[in-house]
Amino acid sequence: MAVLTIGAFPSLVGSMTLDFSFKLAEAAIAKGHKVNFWLSGNAVMMAKKGQKAFKDYSHIEKRMMELLGKGVEITVCEACAEARGYHKEDTPAGMKRASMDWYLAKTFNSERVLHIGGE
Amino acid sequence: MMKLAVFLSDWRRTEDSYERIKADKLGVILVGNGIYHAVMKEGGKDSPVLSKAGASFYVLSDDLETRGFSAANVNTKVKVVSYGDVVDLIMNDYEKTAWL
Repeated sequence: MAVLTIGAFPSLVGSMTLDFSFKLAEAAIAKGHKVNFWLSGNAVMMAKKGQKAFKDYSHIEKRMMELLGKGVEITVCEACAEARGYHKEDTPAGMKRASMDWYLAKTFNSERVLHIGGE
Repeated sequence: MMKLAVFLSDWRRTEDSYERIKADKLGVILVGNGIYHAVMKEGGKDSPVLSKAGASFYVLSDDLETRGFSAANVNTKVKVVSYGDVVDLIMNDYEKTAWL
């Protein structure tokens, strides 16, 4: 087992890179690796519980909750969240909020890091 | 020895950064709209992305299929891979990653 840390800094709802990040995390977990997931910038849209699933519309909250259940550590940038009006009480169960220090610490303690910049 | 996997996620020309990248072992993983480099030609020629000397090229099957392509459409220089294969590439074949 190795540790993969993914940092996602995507665009808004419907972002292809955020979708890619979650699917890659799933694949890594399925292969027995540990995954840390840092959501920053507009990726903090995932820090709002109760997102509605529309037909033909990107909806990855369910996938994220399944990953949390499988032990993936998912942490959002607290400042990015607050700047967008997502507060602690909005955060889905199991998700953490932290400063960039969390991401930096994880990158230093991972075998692999994939930093996915903004679109 | 630098073993680098580069993710290309766009059809836009990104050669500025891409051409400057050097590694002892270089893998180019085409994802998202980057898959078009594996299936499209310009003026009858392959995408310039595929001319990177010494590189190995991969394309993500899910993103191919989402856009209506299959392995049969893919340039012979490019290997079709799954998400699981991408994990193995990152963990076993390359030590560093870059997202362009």
